[in-house]
Amino acid sequence: MFRSFGKLFFILAAAAVFAMPAARADDQVKIGLLFDVTGPVANFVPPMLDAAKLVVDQVNAQGGILGGKQLATVVADTQGAPQTAVDAANKLVNAEHVPIVVGPLLSGTVLASAQSVIIPAGVVQISPSATTPALTTLKDHDWVFRVVPSDAYQGPVLAKLLIDKGLKRVALTYANNDYAVGIAGTFRAAYKKLGGVLSADLQHDEKKTTFRTELATLAKNKPEALVLIAFAGASGVTIVKEALEGGFFTQFVGTDSLRDKVLIEQVGEQNLKGIFFTSPSSPPGTPSMDAFEKAYSAAFQTTKDKLFIQQVYDATFLAALAIQKAGSLDRKKIRAALRQISGPGGEIVGPGDWKKAVDLIAAGRKIDYQGASGDCNFDKSGDVAGVIGHFVIENGSFKQVGIVTP
Amino acid sequence: MDTGTILYLLSLATMTGLYAILTLGLNLQWGFAGMFNAGIAGFFAIGAYATSILTTPPAEDRFGGFDLPIPLGLAAGVLLSAVLGYAIARICLRLKSDYLAIATIGIAEILRLTLRNEAWMTGGNRGIAGIPRPFEDMEQPWGELCFLLLVAGIVVVLYVAIERAWHSPWGRVMRAIRENEEAAEAAGKDVVAFRAHVFSLGAAVMGLAGGLMAHYLKFIGPDATEPILTTFLAWVMLIAGGSGNNRGAVLGAGVIWVIWSGTELLTQRLPPDWQTRSSYIRVFLIGLLLQIVLQRFSHGLLPEKPPRPPESDSG
Repeated sequence: MFRSFGKLFFILAAAAVFAMPAARADDQVKIGLLFDVTGPVANFVPPMLDAAKLVVDQVNAQGGILGGKQLATVVADTQGAPQTAVDAANKLVNAEHVPIVVGPLLSGTVLASAQSVIIPAGVVQISPSATTPALTTLKDHDWVFRVVPSDAYQGPVLAKLLIDKGLKRVALTYANNDYAVGIAGTFRAAYKKLGGVLSADLQHDEKKTTFRTELATLAKNKPEALVLIAFAGASGVTIVKEALEGGFFTQFVGTDSLRDKVLIEQVGEQNLKGIFFTSPSSPPGTPSMDAFEKAYSAAFQTTKDKLFIQQVYDATFLAALAIQKAGSLDRKKIRAALRQISGPGGEIVGPGDWKKAVDLIAAGRKIDYQGASGDCNFDKSGDVAGVIGHFVIENGSFKQVGIVTP
Repeated sequence: MDTGTILYLLSLATMTGLYAILTLGLNLQWGFAGMFNAGIAGFFAIGAYATSILTTPPAEDRFGGFDLPIPLGLAAGVLLSAVLGYAIARICLRLKSDYLAIATIGIAEILRLTLRNEAWMTGGNRGIAGIPRPFEDMEQPWGELCFLLLVAGIVVVLYVAIERAWHSPWGRVMRAIRENEEAAEAAGKDVVAFRAHVFSLGAAVMGLAGGLMAHYLKFIGPDATEPILTTFLAWVMLIAGGSGNNRGAVLGAGVIWVIWSGTELLTQRLPPDWQTRSSYIRVFLIGLLLQIVLQRFSHGLLPEKPPRPPESDSG
């Protein structure tokens, strides 16, 4: 009995695996959603899948894709781990033959699936949420994109802001964690390129209790300000306090990690005159954002407390636009098309404007998709510029006084 | 068949091969010597990280990137796992079954968490990207095919070597220790030394599996060493295939990985309204199929067959 059961089991399994791909429908265009549906970020994923579904519904309600075909998605689950991400990507790209992939969400699953499967196969991949700087330098032959700024993006913005403010000789110190090391690296390069001089450049151990020796080194040669990339709760506040007490520095510049209430509470606003910060921010009420907000809320109640739904929506919409622009499922044409529909330059298209975009493409016009999460203009490594705000302290709290672009 | 389908089948076979190596390593420890190692993830991680650090190009944000040849990296991973396995064995082997299991879980978690948190060495949560893969410069699907042949070759070599060991006097001592430690000791066998050897050997094979996996994925991060995809899966594969039987270990790896991966091809065919739920249905399916395999084949698909002693030995 065991033998016959075993045979049956294998025949069924084999039949299932081999026979199913034959059932592909020709009147459908499928976008691959490579998402971390189960695993460490499982509870964030359902609203994101809703965001992708919103794109599908809008496209199909407004005439479909590639001359009336139905848009559809096919989900593959990375399970949040590299091994299974590679396996899932293989299924999407090789068994399902999707022309373009949206996802995954985690930096690890993106790096594994991209390097091992997606780049070798030559398929465009757009991640909605991977922020690792390793994606910028990946040798991806322009196949890998993302619609969320890299962790390291803030560095060049910070450099630009300093130069704009006339601070051309500063001291830099940063904590020994992923975040700070990443930003410090890109800040250093950009600042020097813009003509700035670092009078001192020092990494510090954020677990130390005092930084007087470091501060003495940093204050040599009288720099104009101290650029401090550290978490307020770890080494940030201590360094600011000791710098003021010892008279080492009076002008400070920080990033979002220092932009913490604790700083004002423990140091006092009166001691922090002239301090300013850069921090990731969102564009203040763009039409694209409002359009998405309205459409998503109408279909799925609310956008509140749902992470990265804007980015998932944008990535899926861009994928659909790229296919439409390419005019076929040819993966190389889609790669070229993605850069032609995302801008900059061309007629502005926003979330939900599918019909308008299709007509513009048919008329041979250039279009520039402005997404719910930002302008979605890809640079040469496939990254987007984030929206970085310029913050100051005013009346006991932080206030955004402008948006900085590098 | 089109290239895409071939590529998917190649990846299925490659993953099966990689897990078969891991399962063979576990079979050495559990199937042969009856040593309950619940810390497979640790040895897997050591092998994976060692070769990743040695073979990647120089990196700024972490230790190393020595750009060494891949075989050297793999050898270092194997050696490190073996040494570590031996050290752990010397410390823990006087512990009996369930206590050994707890000790190995603990040690594996210490290793894993160290690798996760010592970012200066391993890249921390960011992991290590850009790990070279052998034959990656070749056209698709030839590069993939060559890598599969490499993995398959290693599986065959390991299989033959372990089979020979199983039939040798050394293998008989192992089974004797497994079945009755006191009796083996009374017969004058140095039980602790034998167990340390086999534990170290099993650890080395697990390190090799980890190293090859890192080269295959071209990326290694803390999520790749989670126990669910290493320790747990290797155990399920061995038990489903038949512990103590090397062919069973390889078959178990194949069956379980095909279930793990293939179920998604089924759930992807669900109607669109079910799509957001398909991944959860799939996890349920995996559990169900594992239940069926384990229920129907309680001694594994290929149960252990102790070799008959040859005539000359029986007299």
